[in-house]
Amino acid sequence: MTTTLHPMVRAEQVHKSYGQLEVLKGIDLEVQPGEVFCLVGPSGSGKSTFLRCINHLEQINAGRLYVDGDLMGYRERNGKLYELKDREVALKRRDIGMVFQRFNLFPHLTAIENVMEAPVRVKGESKQAARERAEARLAQVGLADKAASYPSQLSGGQQQRVAIARALAMEPKLMLFDEPTSALDPELVGDVLDCMRELAEQGMTMIVVTHEMGFAREVGDALVFMDGGVVVESGHPREVLTNPQHERTRAFLSKVL
Amino acid sequence: MTTPQDTTPGVPPTKERPEDIRAVPVRHPGRWVAIACIAVLAAMFLHAMITNSVLHWDVVGQVFTYPTVIQGMEKTLLLTLCAMVLGIVGGVLLAVMRLSRNPVLSGVSWLYIWVFRGTPVLVQLFFWNFMGAIFPKVGLGIPFGPTWVSWNYNDLVPLFMVCVLGLGLNEAAYFAEIVRAGILSVDEGQAEAAASLGLTHAQTLRRIVLPQAMRVIIPPAGNETISMLKTTSLVSAIAFEELTRAGQDIGARTLYIIPSLIAVSLWYLLFTSILSVGQFYIERHYGRGTNRALPATPWQKVKSNVLTLRLRSTGNTGGTIGGSL
Repeated sequence: MTTTLHPMVRAEQVHKSYGQLEVLKGIDLEVQPGEVFCLVGPSGSGKSTFLRCINHLEQINAGRLYVDGDLMGYRERNGKLYELKDREVALKRRDIGMVFQRFNLFPHLTAIENVMEAPVRVKGESKQAARERAEARLAQVGLADKAASYPSQLSGGQQQRVAIARALAMEPKLMLFDEPTSALDPELVGDVLDCMRELAEQGMTMIVVTHEMGFAREVGDALVFMDGGVVVESGHPREVLTNPQHERTRAFLSKVL
Repeated sequence: MTTPQDTTPGVPPTKERPEDIRAVPVRHPGRWVAIACIAVLAAMFLHAMITNSVLHWDVVGQVFTYPTVIQGMEKTLLLTLCAMVLGIVGGVLLAVMRLSRNPVLSGVSWLYIWVFRGTPVLVQLFFWNFMGAIFPKVGLGIPFGPTWVSWNYNDLVPLFMVCVLGLGLNEAAYFAEIVRAGILSVDEGQAEAAASLGLTHAQTLRRIVLPQAMRVIIPPAGNETISMLKTTSLVSAIAFEELTRAGQDIGARTLYIIPSLIAVSLWYLLFTSILSVGQFYIERHYGRGTNRALPATPWQKVKSNVLTLRLRSTGNTGGTIGGSL
Protein backbone atom coordinates (compact mmCIF):
# COMPACT_ATOMS: atom_id res chain seq x y z
CA MET A 1 0.00 0.00 0.00
CA THR A 2 1.25 3.45 -0.82
CA THR A 3 1.20 5.99 1.95
CA THR A 4 -1.07 8.92 1.25
CA LEU A 5 -1.09 12.16 3.13
CA HIS A 6 -4.76 12.91 2.63
CA PRO A 7 -7.67 10.90 4.01
CA MET A 8 -9.48 8.49 1.64
CA VAL A 9 -12.78 10.26 2.24
CA ARG A 10 -13.31 13.68 3.75
CA ALA A 11 -16.80 15.10 4.24
CA GLU A 12 -17.24 18.76 5.14
CA GLN A 13 -20.72 19.89 6.15
CA VAL A 14 -22.43 17.58 3.64
CA HIS A 15 -26.10 18.40 3.15
CA LYS A 16 -28.56 16.44 1.03
CA SER A 17 -32.27 17.03 0.50
CA TYR A 18 -35.00 15.26 -1.42
CA GLY A 19 -37.28 18.17 -2.22
CA GLN A 20 -38.39 19.59 1.14
CA LEU A 21 -36.99 16.70 3.14
CA GLU A 22 -33.44 17.23 4.35
CA VAL A 23 -31.87 13.81 5.00
CA LEU A 24 -28.27 14.90 5.63
CA LYS A 25 -27.88 17.96 7.81
CA GLY A 26 -24.19 18.66 7.80
CA ILE A 27 -22.00 15.57 7.98
CA ASP A 28 -18.32 16.03 8.88
CA LEU A 29 -16.07 13.00 8.92
CA GLU A 30 -12.80 11.56 7.70
CA VAL A 31 -11.97 8.02 6.64
CA GLN A 32 -8.27 7.15 6.65
CA PRO A 33 -6.68 4.77 4.13
CA GLY A 34 -6.79 1.15 5.27
CA GLU A 35 -9.51 1.86 7.79
CA VAL A 36 -12.72 -0.12 8.29
CA PHE A 37 -15.24 2.61 8.95
CA CYS A 38 -18.67 1.57 10.25
CA LEU A 39 -21.80 3.67 9.87
CA VAL A 40 -24.61 2.65 12.23
CA GLY A 41 -27.93 4.15 13.13
CA PRO A 42 -31.68 3.65 12.84
CA SER A 43 -33.27 3.39 9.38
CA GLY A 44 -33.94 6.80 7.92
CA SER A 45 -30.93 8.28 9.67
CA GLY A 46 -29.28 9.04 6.32
CA LYS A 47 -26.38 6.57 6.48
CA SER A 48 -27.21 4.84 3.18
CA THR A 49 -27.80 8.19 1.50
CA PHE A 50 -24.39 9.39 2.71
CA LEU A 51 -22.78 6.25 1.32
CA ARG A 52 -24.44 6.82 -2.07
CA CYS A 53 -23.20 10.42 -2.08
CA ILE A 54 -19.62 9.19 -1.81
CA ASN A 55 -19.68 7.61 -5.29
CA HIS A 56 -22.00 10.29 -6.61
CA LEU A 57 -25.05 8.06 -7.10
CA GLU A 58 -26.71 10.93 -5.21
CA GLN A 59 -25.64 14.53 -5.59
CA ILE A 60 -25.12 16.60 -2.48
CA ASN A 61 -26.75 20.01 -2.12
CA ALA A 62 -24.18 21.74 0.08
CA GLY A 63 -20.76 21.11 1.57
CA ARG A 64 -17.79 19.33 0.09
CA LEU A 65 -17.07 15.64 -0.36
CA TYR A 66 -13.52 14.58 -1.23
CA VAL A 67 -12.54 11.06 -2.27
CA ASP A 68 -8.82 10.30 -2.42
CA GLY A 69 -8.09 14.01 -2.36
CA ASP A 70 -10.38 14.91 -5.27
CA LEU A 71 -13.73 16.62 -5.07
CA MET A 72 -16.42 14.09 -6.03
CA GLY A 73 -18.57 14.95 -9.03
CA TYR A 74 -17.27 18.49 -9.48
CA ARG A 75 -14.20 20.48 -10.39
CA GLU A 76 -13.44 23.56 -8.36
CA ARG A 77 -11.70 26.43 -10.09
CA ASN A 78 -11.37 29.99 -8.76
CA GLY A 79 -13.98 29.30 -6.11
CA LYS A 80 -16.50 28.11 -8.69
CA LEU A 81 -17.85 24.55 -9.06
CA TYR A 82 -18.12 22.91 -12.46
CA GLU A 83 -20.09 19.67 -12.92
CA LEU A 84 -18.03 16.76 -14.23
CA LYS A 85 -19.08 15.01 -17.44
CA ASP A 86 -20.65 11.56 -17.34
CA ARG A 87 -17.39 10.05 -18.57
CA GLU A 88 -15.32 11.82 -15.89
CA VAL A 89 -17.63 10.69 -13.09
CA ALA A 90 -17.45 7.14 -14.47
CA LEU A 91 -13.66 7.38 -14.39
CA LYS A 92 -13.72 8.28 -10.68
CA ARG A 93 -16.20 5.54 -9.85
CA ARG A 94 -13.77 2.89 -11.11
CA ASP A 95 -11.78 3.34 -7.92
CA ILE A 96 -14.80 3.02 -5.62
CA GLY A 97 -16.37 -0.43 -5.33
CA MET A 98 -19.91 -0.73 -4.03
CA VAL A 99 -21.88 -3.64 -2.61
CA PHE A 100 -25.63 -3.25 -2.36
CA GLN A 101 -28.19 -4.54 0.09
CA ARG A 102 -30.10 -6.30 -2.69
CA PHE A 103 -26.94 -7.52 -4.48
CA ASN A 104 -27.96 -6.03 -7.87
CA LEU A 105 -26.15 -8.73 -9.82
CA PHE A 106 -26.83 -8.65 -13.55
CA PRO A 107 -29.39 -11.46 -13.92
CA HIS A 108 -28.75 -12.04 -17.65
CA LEU A 109 -25.05 -12.77 -17.05
CA THR A 110 -23.42 -15.73 -15.31
CA ALA A 111 -21.43 -15.23 -12.11
CA ILE A 112 -18.13 -15.02 -13.95
CA GLU A 113 -19.56 -12.72 -16.63
CA ASN A 114 -20.79 -10.43 -13.85
CA VAL A 115 -17.24 -10.22 -12.53
CA MET A 116 -15.67 -9.82 -16.00
CA GLU A 117 -18.05 -7.16 -17.32
CA ALA A 118 -16.42 -4.03 -15.90
CA PRO A 119 -12.75 -5.00 -16.44
CA VAL A 120 -13.52 -5.80 -20.09
CA ARG A 121 -15.82 -2.86 -20.86
CA VAL A 122 -14.32 -0.17 -18.65
CA LYS A 123 -10.64 -1.04 -18.44
CA GLY A 124 -10.47 -2.69 -21.84
CA GLU A 125 -8.88 -5.89 -20.56
CA SER A 126 -8.84 -8.82 -22.96
CA LYS A 127 -11.56 -11.39 -22.32
CA GLN A 128 -9.00 -14.09 -21.74
CA ALA A 129 -7.11 -12.10 -19.09
CA ALA A 130 -10.31 -10.89 -17.46
CA ARG A 131 -11.65 -14.45 -17.28
CA GLU A 132 -8.55 -15.73 -15.56
CA ARG A 133 -8.60 -12.93 -13.02
CA ALA A 134 -12.35 -13.30 -12.50
CA GLU A 135 -11.82 -16.99 -11.74
CA ALA A 136 -9.28 -15.99 -9.10
CA ARG A 137 -11.70 -13.43 -7.63
CA LEU A 138 -14.47 -16.01 -7.40
CA ALA A 139 -12.08 -18.46 -5.77
CA GLN A 140 -11.17 -15.74 -3.28
CA VAL A 141 -14.81 -15.48 -2.15
CA GLY A 142 -15.15 -19.28 -2.14
CA LEU A 143 -17.27 -19.63 -5.27
CA ALA A 144 -14.86 -21.07 -7.85
CA ASP A 145 -17.36 -23.83 -8.67
CA LYS A 146 -20.24 -21.41 -9.31
CA ALA A 147 -18.65 -19.48 -12.18
CA ALA A 148 -21.14 -20.70 -14.78
CA SER A 149 -24.24 -20.25 -12.60
CA TYR A 150 -26.77 -17.49 -13.20
CA PRO A 151 -27.60 -15.28 -10.19
CA SER A 152 -31.09 -16.83 -9.91
CA GLN A 153 -29.42 -20.21 -9.32
CA LEU A 154 -27.39 -18.92 -6.35
CA SER A 155 -28.38 -18.40 -2.72
CA GLY A 156 -28.50 -14.88 -1.32
CA GLY A 157 -25.16 -15.30 0.43
CA GLN A 158 -23.53 -16.61 -2.73
CA GLN A 159 -24.99 -13.75 -4.77
CA GLN A 160 -23.60 -11.22 -2.33
CA ARG A 161 -20.16 -12.80 -2.48
CA VAL A 162 -20.27 -12.65 -6.30
CA ALA A 163 -21.21 -8.98 -5.93
CA ILE A 164 -18.14 -8.46 -3.72
CA ALA A 165 -15.94 -10.23 -6.29
CA ARG A 166 -17.47 -8.08 -9.02
CA ALA A 167 -16.61 -4.87 -7.15
CA LEU A 168 -13.08 -6.12 -6.35
CA ALA A 169 -12.44 -6.92 -10.02
CA MET A 170 -11.96 -3.20 -10.66
CA GLU A 171 -9.24 -3.14 -7.98
CA PRO A 172 -10.81 -0.24 -6.12
CA LYS A 173 -9.07 1.89 -3.52
CA LEU A 174 -12.25 2.12 -1.48
CA MET A 175 -15.14 -0.28 -0.91
CA LEU A 176 -18.62 0.85 0.09
CA PHE A 177 -20.95 -1.68 1.71
CA ASP A 178 -24.62 -0.71 1.96
CA GLU A 179 -26.15 -3.08 4.54
CA PRO A 180 -24.61 -6.08 2.75
CA THR A 181 -26.15 -8.70 5.04
CA SER A 182 -29.59 -7.20 5.70
CA ALA A 183 -31.33 -9.14 2.92
CA LEU A 184 -29.77 -12.48 3.87
CA ASP A 185 -31.03 -15.47 5.83
CA PRO A 186 -29.32 -15.53 9.25
CA GLU A 187 -27.55 -18.76 8.26
CA LEU A 188 -25.82 -17.07 5.31
CA VAL A 189 -24.71 -13.84 7.00
CA GLY A 190 -21.52 -15.44 8.35
CA ASP A 191 -20.09 -16.29 4.90
CA VAL A 192 -20.42 -12.72 3.71
CA LEU A 193 -18.99 -11.26 6.92
CA ASP A 194 -16.03 -13.67 6.70
CA CYS A 195 -15.43 -12.46 3.19
CA MET A 196 -15.44 -8.83 4.36
CA ARG A 197 -13.21 -9.62 7.33
CA GLU A 198 -10.64 -11.14 4.99
CA LEU A 199 -10.78 -8.06 2.81
CA ALA A 200 -10.21 -5.84 5.84
CA GLU A 201 -7.18 -7.91 6.82
CA GLN A 202 -5.71 -7.28 3.36
CA GLY A 203 -5.79 -3.57 4.13
CA MET A 204 -8.76 -2.47 2.02
CA THR A 205 -10.34 0.85 2.99
CA MET A 206 -13.98 0.02 3.72
CA ILE A 207 -17.02 2.06 4.66
CA VAL A 208 -19.70 -0.27 5.97
CA VAL A 209 -23.31 0.61 6.71
CA THR A 210 -24.40 -2.24 8.93
CA HIS A 211 -26.59 -3.49 11.74
CA GLU A 212 -24.04 -6.21 12.55
CA MET A 213 -22.62 -4.78 15.78
CA GLY A 214 -20.46 -7.87 16.30
CA PHE A 215 -18.72 -7.23 12.99
CA ALA A 216 -18.28 -3.53 13.81
CA ARG A 217 -16.74 -4.36 17.18
CA GLU A 218 -14.34 -7.02 15.89
CA VAL A 219 -13.30 -5.61 12.52
CA GLY A 220 -14.09 -1.90 12.67
CA ASP A 221 -11.41 0.75 13.23
CA ALA A 222 -13.84 3.63 13.54
CA LEU A 223 -17.56 3.92 14.06
CA VAL A 224 -20.04 6.71 13.56
CA PHE A 225 -23.55 6.68 14.98
CA MET A 226 -25.95 8.71 12.86
CA ASP A 227 -29.49 9.79 13.61
CA GLY A 228 -31.77 12.29 11.91
CA GLY A 229 -29.16 13.25 9.32
CA VAL A 230 -26.39 14.21 11.75
CA VAL A 231 -23.44 12.44 13.37
CA VAL A 232 -24.47 11.88 16.97
CA GLU A 233 -21.38 10.11 18.23
CA SER A 234 -18.14 8.76 16.83
CA GLY A 235 -15.08 6.95 18.07
CA HIS A 236 -13.53 3.52 18.24
CA PRO A 237 -16.23 0.85 17.82
CA ARG A 238 -15.42 -0.89 21.12
CA GLU A 239 -15.70 2.36 23.05
CA VAL A 240 -18.86 3.62 21.40
CA LEU A 241 -20.58 0.24 21.59
CA THR A 242 -19.65 -0.56 25.19
CA ASN A 243 -19.69 2.92 26.63
CA PRO A 244 -21.95 5.19 24.58
CA GLN A 245 -21.85 8.81 25.73
CA HIS A 246 -25.02 10.02 24.13
CA GLU A 247 -28.54 9.18 25.30
CA ARG A 248 -29.75 8.55 21.73
CA THR A 249 -26.89 6.12 21.07
CA ARG A 250 -27.63 4.28 24.29
CA ALA A 251 -31.32 3.91 23.41
CA PHE A 252 -30.49 2.58 19.92
CA LEU A 253 -27.83 0.14 21.10
CA SER A 254 -30.08 -1.24 23.84
CA LYS A 255 -32.47 -2.31 21.09
CA VAL A 256 -30.02 -3.83 18.62
CA LEU A 257 -27.43 -5.43 20.90
CA MET B 1 -33.50 -37.80 -5.94
CA THR B 2 -33.70 -38.70 -2.32
CA THR B 3 -35.56 -41.82 -1.42
CA PRO B 4 -37.91 -41.83 1.57
CA GLN B 5 -35.73 -44.44 3.24
CA ASP B 6 -32.83 -41.97 3.44
CA THR B 7 -31.65 -41.49 6.99
CA THR B 8 -30.07 -38.15 7.77
CA PRO B 9 -27.88 -38.04 10.85
CA GLY B 10 -29.82 -36.73 13.80
CA VAL B 11 -33.20 -37.39 12.23
CA PRO B 12 -35.02 -40.52 13.45
CA PRO B 13 -35.84 -43.03 10.66
CA THR B 14 -39.25 -42.39 9.17
CA LYS B 15 -42.08 -44.89 9.16
CA GLU B 16 -42.77 -46.94 6.05
CA ARG B 17 -43.67 -44.68 3.10
CA PRO B 18 -47.43 -44.70 2.37
CA GLU B 19 -48.41 -45.70 -1.16
CA ASP B 20 -48.79 -43.07 -3.90
CA ILE B 21 -52.09 -41.22 -4.06
CA ARG B 22 -54.31 -42.59 -6.84
CA ALA B 23 -57.36 -40.41 -6.69
CA VAL B 24 -60.14 -40.34 -9.28
CA PRO B 25 -59.70 -36.99 -11.10
CA VAL B 26 -62.51 -34.45 -11.03
CA ARG B 27 -64.89 -35.11 -13.95
CA HIS B 28 -66.01 -32.25 -16.17
CA PRO B 29 -69.30 -33.30 -17.84
CA GLY B 30 -69.91 -29.66 -18.88
CA ARG B 31 -66.92 -29.78 -21.17
CA TRP B 32 -68.30 -32.76 -23.08
CA VAL B 33 -71.64 -30.98 -23.54
CA ALA B 34 -69.81 -27.88 -24.79
CA ILE B 35 -67.76 -29.94 -27.21
CA ALA B 36 -70.90 -31.51 -28.62
CA CYS B 37 -72.56 -28.10 -29.11
CA ILE B 38 -69.49 -26.63 -30.78
CA ALA B 39 -69.12 -29.67 -33.04
CA VAL B 40 -72.72 -29.33 -34.27
CA LEU B 41 -72.30 -25.59 -34.88
CA ALA B 42 -69.02 -26.13 -36.69
CA ALA B 43 -70.56 -28.81 -38.88
CA MET B 44 -73.45 -26.49 -39.77
CA PHE B 45 -71.04 -23.69 -40.62
CA LEU B 46 -68.83 -25.92 -42.76
CA HIS B 47 -71.87 -27.30 -44.58
CA ALA B 48 -73.07 -23.78 -45.34
CA MET B 49 -69.62 -22.74 -46.54
CA ILE B 50 -69.14 -25.72 -48.84
CA THR B 51 -72.59 -25.74 -50.37
CA ASN B 52 -72.79 -21.93 -50.85
CA SER B 53 -72.44 -21.32 -54.58
CA VAL B 54 -71.31 -17.68 -54.18
CA LEU B 55 -68.03 -18.73 -52.55
CA HIS B 56 -66.70 -20.67 -55.57
CA TRP B 57 -64.07 -22.72 -53.80
CA ASP B 58 -62.55 -23.82 -57.06
CA VAL B 59 -61.89 -20.15 -57.92
CA VAL B 60 -60.43 -19.55 -54.44
CA GLY B 61 -57.87 -22.24 -55.21
CA GLN B 62 -57.00 -20.69 -58.56
CA VAL B 63 -56.66 -17.17 -57.16
CA PHE B 64 -54.55 -18.45 -54.27
CA THR B 65 -51.79 -19.53 -56.65
CA TYR B 66 -52.36 -16.92 -59.39
CA PRO B 67 -49.02 -15.29 -60.43
CA THR B 68 -50.06 -11.72 -59.55
CA VAL B 69 -51.26 -12.88 -56.13
CA ILE B 70 -47.96 -14.69 -55.52
CA GLN B 71 -46.07 -11.55 -56.53
CA GLY B 72 -48.29 -9.43 -54.27
CA MET B 73 -47.67 -11.86 -51.44
CA GLU B 74 -43.91 -11.53 -51.92
CA LYS B 75 -44.16 -7.74 -51.92
CA THR B 76 -46.28 -7.82 -48.76
CA LEU B 77 -43.64 -9.91 -47.01
CA LEU B 78 -40.80 -7.66 -48.17
CA LEU B 79 -42.74 -4.55 -47.17
CA THR B 80 -43.51 -6.02 -43.71
CA LEU B 81 -39.84 -6.83 -43.21
CA CYS B 82 -38.53 -3.41 -44.31
CA ALA B 83 -41.16 -1.45 -42.39
CA MET B 84 -40.53 -3.45 -39.21
CA VAL B 85 -36.74 -3.01 -39.47
CA LEU B 86 -37.23 0.76 -39.86
CA GLY B 87 -39.80 0.73 -37.06
CA ILE B 88 -37.61 -1.21 -34.61
CA VAL B 89 -34.42 0.76 -35.26
CA GLY B 90 -36.31 4.05 -35.14
CA GLY B 91 -38.28 2.95 -32.09
CA VAL B 92 -35.21 2.04 -30.05
CA LEU B 93 -33.59 5.34 -31.01
CA LEU B 94 -36.70 7.34 -30.09
CA ALA B 95 -37.10 5.50 -26.77
CA VAL B 96 -33.50 6.16 -25.78
CA MET B 97 -33.91 9.81 -26.80
CA ARG B 98 -37.16 10.07 -24.87
CA LEU B 99 -35.48 8.79 -21.68
CA SER B 100 -32.37 10.91 -22.17
CA ARG B 101 -31.57 13.62 -19.65
CA ASN B 102 -30.90 15.88 -22.62
CA PRO B 103 -34.07 18.01 -22.91
CA VAL B 104 -33.51 18.63 -26.62
CA LEU B 105 -33.42 14.91 -27.44
CA SER B 106 -36.37 14.01 -25.25
CA GLY B 107 -38.34 16.96 -26.61
CA VAL B 108 -37.73 15.99 -30.23
CA SER B 109 -38.70 12.41 -29.47
CA TRP B 110 -41.86 13.50 -27.69
CA LEU B 111 -42.85 15.68 -30.67
CA TYR B 112 -42.22 12.87 -33.14
CA ILE B 113 -44.31 10.38 -31.18
CA TRP B 114 -47.05 12.97 -30.71
CA VAL B 115 -47.32 13.61 -34.46
CA PHE B 116 -46.92 10.06 -35.76
CA ARG B 117 -49.10 8.39 -33.16
CA GLY B 118 -51.67 11.15 -33.30
CA THR B 119 -52.55 10.88 -37.00
CA PRO B 120 -53.93 7.86 -38.89
CA VAL B 121 -51.35 5.79 -40.71
CA LEU B 122 -53.46 5.89 -43.87
CA VAL B 123 -53.34 9.70 -43.86
CA GLN B 124 -49.57 9.53 -43.33
CA LEU B 125 -49.27 7.20 -46.33
CA PHE B 126 -51.19 9.70 -48.46
CA PHE B 127 -48.86 12.47 -47.29
CA TRP B 128 -45.73 10.50 -48.21
CA ASN B 129 -47.32 9.69 -51.54
CA PHE B 130 -48.23 13.28 -52.35
CA MET B 131 -45.04 14.77 -50.93
CA GLY B 132 -43.90 15.14 -54.53
CA ALA B 133 -46.66 17.68 -55.04
CA ILE B 134 -45.62 19.67 -51.96
CA PHE B 135 -41.87 19.44 -52.55
CA PRO B 136 -41.34 18.50 -56.22
CA LYS B 137 -37.58 18.88 -55.87
CA VAL B 138 -35.28 17.80 -53.07
CA GLY B 139 -31.91 19.52 -52.97
CA LEU B 140 -28.67 19.73 -51.06
CA GLY B 141 -27.15 23.10 -50.34
CA ILE B 142 -26.92 25.97 -47.88
CA PRO B 143 -30.16 26.62 -46.02
CA PHE B 144 -31.93 29.61 -47.62
CA GLY B 145 -28.89 29.88 -49.94
CA PRO B 146 -27.79 28.24 -53.17
CA THR B 147 -28.60 24.61 -53.96
CA TRP B 148 -25.81 22.37 -55.28
CA VAL B 149 -27.66 19.22 -56.32
CA SER B 150 -31.35 18.46 -56.54
CA TRP B 151 -33.53 15.47 -57.37
CA ASN B 152 -37.15 14.94 -58.30
CA TYR B 153 -38.99 13.64 -55.23
CA ASN B 154 -40.72 10.96 -57.28
CA ASP B 155 -37.42 9.66 -58.68
CA LEU B 156 -35.72 9.80 -55.30
CA VAL B 157 -38.53 8.00 -53.47
CA PRO B 158 -40.20 5.26 -55.56
CA LEU B 159 -43.60 3.91 -54.54
CA PHE B 160 -42.13 1.02 -52.55
CA MET B 161 -40.03 3.47 -50.50
CA VAL B 162 -43.11 5.62 -49.92
CA CYS B 163 -44.81 2.58 -48.41
CA VAL B 164 -41.79 1.65 -46.27
CA LEU B 165 -41.46 5.23 -45.00
CA GLY B 166 -45.16 5.61 -44.28
CA LEU B 167 -45.52 2.34 -42.40
CA GLY B 168 -42.05 2.26 -40.82
CA LEU B 169 -42.00 5.80 -39.46
CA ASN B 170 -45.45 5.29 -37.98
CA GLU B 171 -44.39 1.98 -36.47
CA ALA B 172 -41.33 3.65 -34.91
CA ALA B 173 -43.58 5.88 -32.83
CA TYR B 174 -45.46 2.88 -31.42
CA PHE B 175 -42.36 0.78 -31.01
CA ALA B 176 -40.66 3.61 -29.09
CA GLU B 177 -43.32 3.33 -26.41
CA ILE B 178 -42.84 -0.46 -26.21
CA VAL B 179 -39.07 -0.10 -25.81
CA ARG B 180 -39.53 2.69 -23.27
CA ALA B 181 -41.80 0.47 -21.18
CA GLY B 182 -39.20 -2.29 -21.44
CA ILE B 183 -36.36 -0.03 -20.29
CA LEU B 184 -38.44 1.32 -17.40
CA SER B 185 -39.24 -2.24 -16.30
CA VAL B 186 -35.58 -2.92 -15.46
CA ASP B 187 -34.80 -2.39 -11.78
CA GLU B 188 -33.01 0.88 -11.01
CA GLY B 189 -30.47 -1.03 -8.95
CA GLN B 190 -29.10 -2.51 -12.19
CA ALA B 191 -28.12 0.90 -13.55
CA GLU B 192 -26.73 1.89 -10.14
CA ALA B 193 -24.60 -1.24 -9.94
CA ALA B 194 -23.32 -0.62 -13.46
CA ALA B 195 -22.57 3.02 -12.67
CA SER B 196 -20.74 2.07 -9.48
CA LEU B 197 -18.45 -0.16 -11.58
CA GLY B 198 -17.52 2.78 -13.78
CA LEU B 199 -19.67 2.01 -16.83
CA THR B 200 -20.87 5.10 -18.69
CA HIS B 201 -24.53 5.79 -19.42
CA ALA B 202 -24.22 4.44 -22.95
CA GLN B 203 -22.43 1.25 -21.83
CA THR B 204 -24.98 0.69 -19.07
CA LEU B 205 -27.84 1.01 -21.54
CA ARG B 206 -26.30 -1.27 -24.17
CA ARG B 207 -24.80 -3.95 -21.94
CA ILE B 208 -27.05 -4.06 -18.89
CA VAL B 209 -30.44 -2.41 -19.38
CA LEU B 210 -31.47 -3.25 -22.97
CA PRO B 211 -30.72 -7.00 -22.75
CA GLN B 212 -32.92 -7.20 -19.67
CA ALA B 213 -35.61 -5.05 -21.27
CA MET B 214 -35.86 -7.58 -24.15
CA ARG B 215 -37.98 -9.93 -22.05
CA VAL B 216 -40.64 -7.22 -21.79
CA ILE B 217 -40.17 -5.94 -25.36
CA ILE B 218 -40.38 -9.24 -27.27
CA PRO B 219 -44.07 -10.19 -26.76
CA PRO B 220 -45.51 -6.85 -27.94
CA ALA B 221 -42.87 -6.75 -30.71
CA GLY B 222 -44.25 -10.03 -32.05
CA ASN B 223 -47.70 -8.56 -31.81
CA GLU B 224 -46.62 -5.49 -33.76
CA THR B 225 -45.07 -7.64 -36.50
CA ILE B 226 -48.29 -9.60 -36.94
CA SER B 227 -50.19 -6.36 -36.93
CA MET B 228 -47.82 -4.86 -39.52
CA LEU B 229 -48.29 -7.80 -41.88
CA LYS B 230 -51.97 -6.94 -42.07
CA THR B 231 -51.53 -3.17 -41.98
CA THR B 232 -49.51 -3.38 -45.21
CA SER B 233 -52.87 -3.93 -46.94
CA LEU B 234 -53.45 -0.19 -46.43
CA VAL B 235 -50.90 0.66 -49.11
CA SER B 236 -53.33 -0.73 -51.68
CA ALA B 237 -54.96 2.69 -51.24
CA ILE B 238 -51.93 4.37 -52.85
CA ALA B 239 -51.91 1.83 -55.69
CA PHE B 240 -49.02 -0.34 -54.53
CA GLU B 241 -49.51 -3.87 -55.91
CA GLU B 242 -49.33 -5.90 -52.75
CA LEU B 243 -51.41 -8.91 -51.74
CA THR B 244 -54.73 -7.20 -51.00
CA ARG B 245 -54.49 -5.06 -54.13
CA ALA B 246 -53.69 -8.13 -56.24
CA GLY B 247 -56.80 -9.87 -54.90
CA GLN B 248 -58.95 -6.78 -55.44
CA ASP B 249 -57.74 -6.46 -59.02
CA ILE B 250 -58.68 -10.04 -59.84
CA GLY B 251 -62.03 -9.55 -58.12
CA ALA B 252 -62.72 -6.40 -60.11
CA ARG B 253 -61.72 -8.02 -63.39
CA THR B 254 -63.51 -11.34 -63.00
CA LEU B 255 -66.27 -10.32 -60.58
CA TYR B 256 -65.23 -13.21 -58.34
CA ILE B 257 -64.85 -10.64 -55.57
CA ILE B 258 -65.52 -12.79 -52.51
CA PRO B 259 -63.45 -15.81 -53.63
CA SER B 260 -60.52 -13.47 -54.32
CA LEU B 261 -60.78 -11.95 -50.87
CA ILE B 262 -60.94 -15.40 -49.30
CA ALA B 263 -57.80 -16.46 -51.18
CA VAL B 264 -55.98 -13.36 -49.99
CA SER B 265 -57.18 -13.89 -46.41
CA LEU B 266 -55.83 -17.43 -46.48
CA TRP B 267 -52.39 -16.07 -47.33
CA TYR B 268 -52.56 -13.59 -44.42
CA LEU B 269 -53.77 -16.34 -42.07
CA LEU B 270 -50.93 -18.62 -43.13
CA PHE B 271 -48.26 -16.00 -42.40
CA THR B 272 -49.76 -14.75 -39.14
CA SER B 273 -49.89 -18.39 -38.00
CA ILE B 274 -46.22 -18.86 -38.81
CA LEU B 275 -45.36 -15.62 -36.99
CA SER B 276 -47.42 -16.67 -33.93
CA VAL B 277 -45.48 -19.91 -33.67
CA GLY B 278 -42.22 -17.97 -33.98
CA GLN B 279 -43.35 -15.53 -31.29
CA PHE B 280 -44.18 -18.37 -28.88
CA TYR B 281 -40.68 -19.82 -29.15
CA ILE B 282 -38.91 -16.44 -28.92
CA GLU B 283 -40.88 -15.58 -25.78
CA ARG B 284 -40.05 -18.96 -24.35
CA HIS B 285 -36.36 -18.35 -25.05
CA TYR B 286 -36.29 -14.95 -23.30
CA GLY B 287 -38.34 -16.29 -20.38
CA ARG B 288 -35.48 -18.63 -19.52
CA GLY B 289 -33.92 -17.88 -16.14
CA THR B 290 -36.91 -15.83 -14.97
CA ASN B 291 -39.90 -18.14 -15.44
CA ARG B 292 -39.86 -20.88 -12.85
CA ALA B 293 -41.55 -23.31 -15.26
CA LEU B 294 -41.45 -22.68 -18.98
CA PRO B 295 -44.81 -22.98 -20.74
CA ALA B 296 -45.22 -26.35 -22.45
CA THR B 297 -44.83 -26.41 -26.21
CA PRO B 298 -47.90 -27.64 -28.11
CA TRP B 299 -46.09 -30.93 -28.77
CA GLN B 300 -45.38 -31.38 -25.05
CA LYS B 301 -49.05 -30.69 -24.28
CA VAL B 302 -50.20 -33.35 -26.74
CA LYS B 303 -47.75 -35.85 -25.28
CA SER B 304 -48.89 -35.20 -21.70
CA ASN B 305 -52.57 -35.45 -22.67
CA VAL B 306 -52.04 -38.75 -24.45
CA LEU B 307 -50.09 -40.04 -21.49
CA THR B 308 -52.87 -39.04 -19.09
CA LEU B 309 -55.52 -40.78 -21.19
CA ARG B 310 -53.44 -43.93 -21.47
CA LEU B 311 -52.78 -44.03 -17.74
CA ARG B 312 -56.42 -43.42 -16.97
CA SER B 313 -57.45 -46.34 -19.17
CA THR B 314 -55.16 -48.60 -17.16
CA GLY B 315 -56.56 -47.18 -13.93
CA ASN B 316 -53.34 -45.46 -12.93
CA THR B 317 -53.53 -41.67 -12.80
CA GLY B 318 -51.11 -40.98 -10.00
CA GLY B 319 -48.34 -38.50 -10.56
CA THR B 320 -49.25 -37.23 -14.02
CA ILE B 321 -49.26 -33.56 -14.69
CA GLY B 322 -50.89 -31.77 -17.58
CA GLY B 323 -54.24 -30.76 -18.98
CA SER B 324 -56.89 -33.38 -19.52
CA LEU B 325 -60.55 -33.45 -20.30
